[in-house]
Amino acid sequence: MINNRKPLLEVKDLKTYFFTEDGVVKAVDGVDFEVYQGETLGIVGESACGKSVTAFSIMKLLDYPGKTVGGEVIFKGENLLEKTEDEMRRIRGKEIAMIFQEPMTALNPVLTVGFQISEALMIHFKISKEEAMKKSVELLKKVGIPIPEQRVNEYPHQLSGGMRQRAMIAMAMSCDPSLLIADEPTTALDVTIQAQILDLMRSLLKDFNGSLIMITHDLGVIAEIADRIAVMYAGKVVEHADKKTIFHNPLHPYTFGLLTSIPRLDLELKRLDTIPGIVPDPLHFPVGCKFNPRCRFATDRCKEEEPCLVKVEEGHLVRCWNIESVIKEVKKGLLVGV
Amino acid sequence: MVNSMLQVKNLVKYFPIKKGVFRKTVGWIKAVDDISFEIYEGETLGLVGESGCGKTTTALTILRLEEPTKGQIIFNGRDITRINKRDMRKERKNMQIIFQDPYSSLDPRMKIKDIIAEGMSTHSMLKNAQERYKRVGELLERVGIPDKYMDRFPHEFSGGQRQRIGIARALALEPKIIMCDEAVSALDVSIRSQIINLLKDLQKEYNLTYLFVAHDLSVIKYISDRVIVMYLGKIVEIADKKEFFNNTLHPYAQALISAVPVPNPDYKKKRIILQGDVPSPANPPKGCRFHPRCSKVMKICSEIEPKLNEIKEKHFVACHLYTH
Amino acid sequence: MNRTLKKLFSNAASLTGIILLVFFIIIAIFAPVIAPPFSDDPYQIPRMSWDVHPQPPGFPMSDNIREIYDYMGTEIKYDKAICGTAEGGYDIFYGLIWGTRTAFKIGIITVSLSMLIGILIGSISAYFGKWVDEILMRLTDIFLSFPFLVAAMVLTTVLGRGLDKVMIALIVFGWMGYARVIRGSILSAKEETYVMAAKALGVKDAKIIWKHLLPNTIFPVLIQGSMNIGSMVITAAALSFLGVGAPVGYADWGQMVSFARNWIIGAPGNAGQYWYTVFYPGIFIVLFVLAWNLIGDTLRDILDPRLRGEL
Repeated sequence: MINNRKPLLEVKDLKTYFFTEDGVVKAVDGVDFEVYQGETLGIVGESACGKSVTAFSIMKLLDYPGKTVGGEVIFKGENLLEKTEDEMRRIRGKEIAMIFQEPMTALNPVLTVGFQISEALMIHFKISKEEAMKKSVELLKKVGIPIPEQRVNEYPHQLSGGMRQRAMIAMAMSCDPSLLIADEPTTALDVTIQAQILDLMRSLLKDFNGSLIMITHDLGVIAEIADRIAVMYAGKVVEHADKKTIFHNPLHPYTFGLLTSIPRLDLELKRLDTIPGIVPDPLHFPVGCKFNPRCRFATDRCKEEEPCLVKVEEGHLVRCWNIESVIKEVKKGLLVGV
Repeated sequence: MVNSMLQVKNLVKYFPIKKGVFRKTVGWIKAVDDISFEIYEGETLGLVGESGCGKTTTALTILRLEEPTKGQIIFNGRDITRINKRDMRKERKNMQIIFQDPYSSLDPRMKIKDIIAEGMSTHSMLKNAQERYKRVGELLERVGIPDKYMDRFPHEFSGGQRQRIGIARALALEPKIIMCDEAVSALDVSIRSQIINLLKDLQKEYNLTYLFVAHDLSVIKYISDRVIVMYLGKIVEIADKKEFFNNTLHPYAQALISAVPVPNPDYKKKRIILQGDVPSPANPPKGCRFHPRCSKVMKICSEIEPKLNEIKEKHFVACHLYTH
Repeated sequence: MNRTLKKLFSNAASLTGIILLVFFIIIAIFAPVIAPPFSDDPYQIPRMSWDVHPQPPGFPMSDNIREIYDYMGTEIKYDKAICGTAEGGYDIFYGLIWGTRTAFKIGIITVSLSMLIGILIGSISAYFGKWVDEILMRLTDIFLSFPFLVAAMVLTTVLGRGLDKVMIALIVFGWMGYARVIRGSILSAKEETYVMAAKALGVKDAKIIWKHLLPNTIFPVLIQGSMNIGSMVITAAALSFLGVGAPVGYADWGQMVSFARNWIIGAPGNAGQYWYTVFYPGIFIVLFVLAWNLIGDTLRDILDPRLRGEL
């Protein structure tokens, strides 16, 4: 809770494991964050950090062998993890909607765009097919697709990548959800198209005062669209704070490492810092802090004991034993762009 | 005076579109449509553009992994455009490539020592297999992989490590120039800087020349000496890196730069949002290919295609704004 | 490799298949011991009686046969038909044992040769493409349009009777599936980046096919082949049943089922009188084919997720 505002969505110590024949993959092993009304939470992390699984866990869309084994997902005061499948069906699409990375595979290739948008409308609101189609055309117009009356009867393969993503946004927004979860929605798009889509999302959210969870690995996208940020690594949230804090005063070595190792358009860099090593194999996570093998500040304690997520100040949580070391580095001015 | 190592003259690459029972050619995808540029010895030339602009096709055509439809490729003073297969194979020792996808660019059934040694044995480098494997070990260590792993298979390595193996494979032939085709695009963010730094170090150490193809302008800005921007098969701007970013001339290049999200919440930039989608390379617009999406479009743009002109010293633009 | 073996043995279905296959291999290897041949041609089934009617299991050798063997100087290795006799007094047990060798011969030879032809045609077609591909694939289509059994029958009628003619027919009309599979695999493998990488290194075409394309595409074909061993045996049996296969008295399961043709339904009031003429060879065929199918199925399951897992 920040400033006594209650969050729209509160995820507490979420744990989702995959029980495979090769062993238990702890894809999400302690994720905590909050999303407030009208705000955007950016979840940033690399491959296998668990960010997509987190989204699926919130929507309870997990498939065998995945299972949410712990934690709470409190949406508008109720724990979604305790809801039945029927109750979740009424929430999905209507209260919480999701858009995906690959619009070509997320959209059904044998159904027209209009049909797919109408589907959600007809399920959640008792309206006729004609009314739903009319609303679909309006929605396509709202997301900036030209000649929507024609497009509504076309198939996904007839639209370009950017158009498909817009159609997916239209589908997601059709029932005016309070929360939109976007899983790498622009990663597969060209950068000029990405700019269009981000622009669109920003204006839609402003119009609806909606909340957005934006999942991405791109720190630039996060800087443009997020209000608060959760940094994930190896299935856990390692740092959670508002945007300015994350970019100017990060406390976790991984966050710090990410910020100093990316090439920048706004700066002249002489040398890129690196985070040594590789992203850990989810079947063989290291003992102690999951980031310790790659951390330049790692101490013996880090190799043995996993740190908990600790509130360092109002609205800023970090999971690390050595934040003083990072503070020192930041003070040295090693964090560019400040 | 720096040597010009590679010259591309009026290069054209069209892909046929075949339809019908008898596979008749009904049209052409004009992937690369009459481009000319030079690469100087020791430099990193960044080739940037979005999907469909022809940058990857350019790199592949230079290496004749795709056969050019028209034009010339001159490497080290020799016109290699139409030399026969056997002679081309010999030239390949000097021009290598690092591919984008670390997962499909290594033969999954070969040990990595054989993957790296294959080029050496093809060109009969070193006396025997033993000596070649010794060199494989040295190369692996140089790219940051312990040589004791040389008997392993690609699937036992991460994406970043596989890319290193790909780099070692290219280096093994002691090439003069390496095409880096989106070499870091498929890697995780925290791994990218490792590979970028490695490529930079290797360039100094072995005096390599790079053609660095990418769509990520931030990477291009960091690693390139000069920048070429392509759009729908054409070159729209060429300049030295500093000049390009400080004084971007072509409207498309300006839009491209403004579209890149910057990881700095306080960064203020001029917002140029392009309308519409990239047109199909099978049916490019008449006149300037960018004109339907250009905010500064004039009448002449839809009629006459602008030529690449040197507007400032070593700064070339193909745009009517600067010639009228 | 270890993972493959582990998977093969952990699955009940494949374990059954392996056990069955081992069972048949042992029979085939030890055939001379289990059912000692009476003459120089071990594939000639000895007779226990002259009687046209099949005799039930346990039937002892009839005296007139014994006299003939003594007269000819043939050593009588055993004199009881453990599984009964087929029409004409042929010992079913002997036929089962030596028929195992025949089954392996038929299965392995026909599959190997048809696979070889199919791989050759399919890979040439895929690698060179264009009109070569068109011609070879249309040829494949022509062959495929013949109904297999009818075509095999016609061919054997033309070539004459005999198990080797049956095998020729099976090979001539059996290579098309492999050709298509390997063509498809090579067409997609050709586009893989590592093939382009080999080209970029300067590797010659032939070497690319041999070192890069074939090793990556051959496994589905091999698995398809192993599954087909069973069906080759069944088809050969069908042809024998129809009378165009092995010569009379040859140790071949199909032959033996064909012997049972007239005795499938016994005398009125005792329909199952001659059950053993159908049951014994039938069960051997079924189990043999089952063994190959189970193993092939498991190999295919192992191969697919591994390919995905490797990526």
